[in-house]
Parts: sequence; structure tokens; C-alpha cells
Amino acid sequence: MEAFIQYTVQGLAAGGFYALAALGLAIIFGALNVVNFAHGAFYMLGAVLTAVFLEFANLNFWVSLALVPVILFIFGVIVERLLVQWLLGLDILYTFLLTFGISLVLVDLVRMRFGVSGLPYDQPPGLTGSVHVGAIELPVYQVFVFGFSVLICLLVWLLLTKTRMGMVVRAATEEPERSRALGINVSRWITPVFGFGVAVAGIAGVLAAPFRAITATMGSNFIIILFAVVVIGGLGSILGSVVAGFLVGLVEAYGQGYASNFAQILIFILMAVVILVRPAGLFGRKETS
Amino acid sequence: MKTKNFRTLAIASMAVAALGLTSCAGGPPAAVKSELSNGKVVIGVLNDQTGVYRDLSGPNSVVAVQMAVDDYKKKYGDKAVAKNIEIISADHQNKPDVANTQAQQMYDRKDADIILDVPTSSAALAVAKVAAEKKKLFIDVGAATMELTGASCNPYTYHWAYNTKMLAKGAKGVVDNGGKKWVIIYPDYAFGQDMNKSFSEAVVAAGGSVIESIATPFPNDNFATFITRAAADNPDVIGIMAAGGDLVNFVKQYNQAGMRAKADLAVGLMFITDIHSLGVKEFAGTTFTDAWYWNYDAQNRAFADRFSKLTNGSRPTFAHAGNYSAATQYLEAVQRAGTDNPDKVRAQLDGLKVNDVFLRNGVIRSDHSVIHDTYVAKVKSEDQVKEPWDYENIIATIPADQAFPEVNPACTMK
Amino acid sequence: MFDVTGLYASYGQAAVLHDVSLSIKPGEVVTLVGRNGAGKTTLLRSIMGLHRDCRGAVTMEGKRIETFSPNQRAKAGLGWVPDNRGIYSSLTVAENLTLPPIVGKDAWSLNRVYDAFPALKERRSSMGTQLSGGEQQMLAIARVLRMGARLLLLDEPSEGLAPVIVQSIGRIIREAKEQGLAVLLVEQNVKFAATVADRHYLLAQGRVVEQLSNKDFQLREHELLEHLGM
Repeated sequence: MEAFIQYTVQGLAAGGFYALAALGLAIIFGALNVVNFAHGAFYMLGAVLTAVFLEFANLNFWVSLALVPVILFIFGVIVERLLVQWLLGLDILYTFLLTFGISLVLVDLVRMRFGVSGLPYDQPPGLTGSVHVGAIELPVYQVFVFGFSVLICLLVWLLLTKTRMGMVVRAATEEPERSRALGINVSRWITPVFGFGVAVAGIAGVLAAPFRAITATMGSNFIIILFAVVVIGGLGSILGSVVAGFLVGLVEAYGQGYASNFAQILIFILMAVVILVRPAGLFGRKETS
Repeated sequence: MKTKNFRTLAIASMAVAALGLTSCAGGPPAAVKSELSNGKVVIGVLNDQTGVYRDLSGPNSVVAVQMAVDDYKKKYGDKAVAKNIEIISADHQNKPDVANTQAQQMYDRKDADIILDVPTSSAALAVAKVAAEKKKLFIDVGAATMELTGASCNPYTYHWAYNTKMLAKGAKGVVDNGGKKWVIIYPDYAFGQDMNKSFSEAVVAAGGSVIESIATPFPNDNFATFITRAAADNPDVIGIMAAGGDLVNFVKQYNQAGMRAKADLAVGLMFITDIHSLGVKEFAGTTFTDAWYWNYDAQNRAFADRFSKLTNGSRPTFAHAGNYSAATQYLEAVQRAGTDNPDKVRAQLDGLKVNDVFLRNGVIRSDHSVIHDTYVAKVKSEDQVKEPWDYENIIATIPADQAFPEVNPACTMK
Repeated sequence: MFDVTGLYASYGQAAVLHDVSLSIKPGEVVTLVGRNGAGKTTLLRSIMGLHRDCRGAVTMEGKRIETFSPNQRAKAGLGWVPDNRGIYSSLTVAENLTLPPIVGKDAWSLNRVYDAFPALKERRSSMGTQLSGGEQQMLAIARVLRMGARLLLLDEPSEGLAPVIVQSIGRIIREAKEQGLAVLLVEQNVKFAATVADRHYLLAQGRVVEQLSNKDFQLREHELLEHLGM
């Protein structure tokens, strides 16, 4: 029983991080109808920038946590203006291929510059050691990642539901054409939303630096799990991807605890079951004509 | 008049000699009779040029082979049998099918006389098969599988640097130091399963016990629950058999969970590039078996210094040194045989007892497992590090005859 | 006040509208009647700038707007109520109402909207798609009134609704008319059209074949029903 509680807590902790990492993917899919395959590469850039800042500019974790999302926001805006916008009206496959290409280029650029073994990164000061949650001992950093991820998800949720900006973005997301006809300049929102999604990927990357290997390819496997999260949650649903993030974290933890070599397969079994029962995902909208 | 005639004669004879060199397959009378296929020796380096094993082998293995060629030419000069040596390289992307095609191309189209390196066990086995079919030489350096010198062994394939059982020998040192109770965590694919088996046997043989072996998906990012599970067994030692990025993921999360204080960490396979990428602080105190360390003695260091100049400051991994050694011993065998004919060259290699910068007390055994002294290494703590890449304390040397397992009877050399 | 002159529209090779011209004055309700596939919805979408494959002049209050983007046209005073009602499922009723920017000085206040549509007030914090079909239609119309649009483009507002609800939609259209708003109504329900409209355009195979006053329209109701295949 104690083990079960421990796995549950760890699953929730990991789930918070998955939710955050998948959030940007869901936002961008929702607003632009773009399956952003480069999301993993943006996450990787976040982590690599964090390591580079420490090594070459002596900027610590906290500075990176503030700075990296801003840089990635700008980077996302540039990518959207320069590349993505030209393919937005077309079939979803075009942007899928484009972002796939972008991810290959980014991964190879990082690999050329930093090799494949990755970059070192120390524990951020102030976040070392363990805390006791009841009878369970958890690394402070894991608790921090969980809390911070939940906080960001909550902020994004408030931004989307409680502000006029959020309302406009939701409307533009749901039905871009109709929103235009109701006097909303949808294009004006597209670029910052894309940048925002990239910035959230960057935050996940910064958080990953102290507990994941920082390599050019760190996002390439990760994005597969994130796609599973987004699909389970329902394409385009922000709330869905958050809930699915926790679900995937739990499934993974129980898998690791009780059926270790199935830990990852279980995630995809979950995905298959969800798709069979609810093709649009847990919180997905049904396709309307 | 007399001197002038003599000079003319000398020049003429030199010209004739030079012509003779190029026009007929003869050669200078002083050197051993040389018979080279295509008039040159072609060494193929087939490895991971872009993926996870790029840093530990990759382009720097080609550099190491080039160093061997340079040394050979310098040593023999005019007397060299192989005057014209070409190095070619290709990326096998760690995929057996790609390795298979690339190996065929190297042997058939690019006239490779030998293929070197080939990390990733499945890819190495694919190349060994091609080598046996084509009756061309293959020296594997980068892969760990026991199969190369087991049921899949063949007369044309050699396994130079290490294997999973040799890596597991280091476990004895850990058990002798009081690390009796082990939990092993291994990635669930060929390499990890092989490592788990080798380490479990070695731990038990040394008088320890393995409480639990935990299989993990591969690749895997999140090890939190696996670590909790391992910790619940209260082991003395946790052995991690993951490699590359997964190893780094594991060690970061292991340290974060505060496991350092609870159990010793033993790493199955680690390259110096892994320590370099994660930082010595995270690995400090970890023990592992190393096939070679660049800062072990003056000879190694001299080699490493040359290597550094050619690679923008990198220090060689044992795989790089192993490739240097394999290329050197191959060229020496060609020199002795006077030809690059594979059957004559392997007659020179088989049973060879040899010492070089990589092989200490090296023997090329009948099963083509190349045994040599290996080392139990402990990662230095941060304050012990005196220069970049200075990461290891060698705490014990395992003599060649104890470092490797017995000849596998399944190997019949057919 | 609002004129369409010589409008042609097509889908690739297939021409859908040929030389369509119509005009509407403030306070006038004009219907567009025709069979399915006559091009009615395409005409509305072309007017809104949503159907790109078209040419011809569109004038709103003396301003040429055919080069405007859809959101600029909305800001010029065009209020579109699409045939699927266009309620956002991720927005509450109140959010659906307040989403569009206010584009005219005669825009209805939220209180006026709630007075006119008490059902919407009651359910203002429900999600838009939890409303019944009739309520959704009310919401869609209320939305453009609240926006302050001066030309309402209604695409089959009575479709699939109970007679009592159709009546109240008629009431709202008349209220808008009294306020001086212009309404372009696409309808297949000839009876309903006759109760609210001043004039009618008959659209067949992408052309305006006839223009009728409401009186003539009512006299020829049976003939028209036959002609329209309704």
C-alpha cells in the first residue's frame, strides 16, 4: 500500500511536467490547427539554452527560467512569421512536414555545435535534498517541478478563461473563419499564440535541464509521449491535455512500479483505448461540418 | 669524368627503379615482397556518425585510425608494404540493416580490406555476417555483445576492446568492498539483457546476491519510480546498465532522489565522454570497469595529447584507443604477411601476443576475443580533478587472463 | 445604403453566381429566396468576404468594401448570422454575446439584449452549445445586434425551429427594422418570409431572376412554392 501511494505521488509529480510540456502543443494545435512536430526541438532548445547560459554567461537556473521563455517566444514569433504562416490555410500535413523539417534542422544545428553526449547541468541551488510528504520522501526538485508546472498550467487556464484576450483566442481557436466574420482580427492573434506555445515548451525545457540529459535529441523521444498526451486529452483541448498529462504520469508510474517493461507501452495502450471509446479524445470537440 | 658518369648512372637507375615501382608489381628489393589488392590498403571505419554513439566513436575513431596509419608510415617509410593506405568512413545509424548495406558497399565497391569499429551490438553482428560471407576482415571495437565471440564468431571477425562479461568483472571489486546486495536496472533490449545476465552472474560468482533485476523501456526519460522500487529493496549497490542519454537521465534523477547516501552506484558501461557531458560531480564515486583510460600512464597520455591536438581538445575514449590499436595491429600484420590477402593477414593475427598503447598483455585468442588488462575505475570527486577530462582514479587492474571470460564452446569458427 | 453590383462567384471552374446585383435601404427587410444550390449561401459568404473566389462591387454606406477582409467588413457594419448559427462551444452565452467588437453607435446594450431575450439572461453562464436550437438562433441574432451591425445577414434563421420560435424571430426582425437596421434574409420558408419582408429577390441558378414587392410575392405564393420546389 505504501508503495502504491508512493507511485501515485510520483505519477502525479511526473504528470504535472507532462501536462506543462504538452500544454504548448495543445495551444498551438488549437489556435493554428498546426500539429507542431518541432515542439520537442523547442523544448530541447530551452534546456540547451539553460545549460549554455550557465556555462558561458554564468546565468543561474532562476535567470534562465525567466529569460529562456522570452527568447523562445521571440524565436517562435520569427518562425511563425518567416515559415509557418505561409502554410496555415493549407492541409494540416503541410505544416506537419514543415515543423518536422524545422525540428531536424534545430536538432542537427545543436548536434553540430555541442555534439551528442550532451551538456552538464548542476542541481539548481536551493532545490536540492528531499522533503517528506507524509511517510513518503520526495526530491525537492521533483516537488518544485510539479508545483511550478501546475502553477503555469493554472495561469494559462486563467488567462484563457478569465480575460478578454483568452476569450478571443478561444473563439479564434474554435472557428477562425466565423471569428473573422464577427470582426475579430484572427491573424493578429495567431503569431503571439504560436510564440506563446513555443515559450511554454521552453519553460518545460528549462525545468528539464536539472533532471534530464541535455542532448540535441532529448526532445525527439519526448515528443512521442507528448503526442500521446495531447491525443488522449483531445486535440486542441487545453484542459484535456492537462488532465491527460496527469493520467499519463500515473499510468507510467504504475507501469514502472508493477509491470516495468510495459511502462511506456501502457501509455499507448491507454491512448488506443481512449481513441476507440472516444475518437475525439477525453475532452475533444466532435468534428462539426 | 668518372664521377660524372657515376652520377648519371645513379640517376638513371633511380629512374628505372621508380618506373619499376609504378609499372610492375615488383617493389624495392630491400622490402618484403608486397602484394596488395588494387595496389592499396583500404581501411573502412563504419560507426555512428550522427547518433548517440557519435561522441564515443564517430568521426574521432577515424582520427584515431589516421593516427595509426601515420605511425605505420613513419615507422616503415620506404620499407612499408602498404605505401598507399586509404581510410573511408560511413554512418550505420546504429541500425543493423544500414550496417549490412554499408558493409557490403565498403567491401565490394570501395575495395575495403578491413572494417573497423561498428558500435551497437546488432549492427556489429550484421557486419560480422557480411565479413564471413565475403571472407574479408572485420575488427569490432565499439560493440559489447558476447555473440561476436560466441555462436556468431567466424574466422574473419575479431572483437577487440571489451564485452559485457568483461564489464561485469568489475562487479567483483565492488562485492569485495562490501557491496553484497545488488539491484540491477537494465534497459529491455539486447544489450541491456546481455548486461543484466553478465552482471548477475558476476555478482553471484563474487559471493554477492542480486535481489531484483528491473527491466526498463528503452529509450526512457523518467526513472523516478524505478529508483523508488530499487530503493525499497534496501540494496548496497544499484547497478545501472543504461547507456548514453538514458544513463545521464538515470544518474541525474538518482542523485536528485538522494540515493547517493543510501546505495552505491555501479555503472555497467560508461565512456569518458559520458562523464564529461554530465559533469564529474554527478558521477563522483561511481565505480565501473574501463578498458583503457587516457591518463593512466605516460604512454597513454602521450597518445591522448596527440589525439587532443587533432580533435579540438577532446580526450580519447577507450573505443578511440581501441581503434588505433586495431588499425595498428592490422597494418603490422599486413607488413609481416607482405600482403593484404585476408587469409594471410589473419594467419599473422591469430594467437598473437602483443603490447601497444591500448593492449597491455594483449592476446588474440582462438575465439578472436582480444584480451588485455582492464581496469576498475572510480570517478573522482570534483576537488580531485586537476584538468579537463581528468575524471578517473584507477583503483585496480584486472590482469588480461582474468579480465575476460573463458572461450565460449559455442564458437566453432565456421 | 448597401449595394451589390455585378457579383460573380465560382468554385474553381464551376460558376455559382452570375452578375448578381441587389440593394437594400436602411429599415428595409429584403429576402433572398431560391432552391437549395441556387447560390444563396455563397452570396452571403461573398458579401462577408469569406468566399474569396468572386468579383464585383460591394458598397456599404457609400464605401467600397469588396477588398476588405472579413473582420474589416464586420467593422464596417455587416453582421453575419451563419446558417449553423455559429455559437462557440468553448464560450459561455455571455462570452458569445460580448465576443465581437462594438462597431456602431446604436449597438444594443447587454441589458437590452437580456430584456429582449430573457432566456439568454437566465442561461448566461452556460456554455453556448448547451442551449436549445431556438435559443442558439436567438443568441446568434442577439450577438450581431449587440455588436451594432447596421446590416444583418441572416442565413435561414427559421430552419428547423418550432413555429412559436419562428414567430419570435420574426418579432425581433421587425424590431430591428423599426430601429432602422437593414436585413438581408436568406429563406426557404416562404410563409415566414412574407410576414417580415418588404421586398424579395428570387435567385435561380446563380442569377437574380425576379424582384418582387411583398404584395406580389404573397399573391404568387403558390406559384413560387412550386417554382422553388418547396
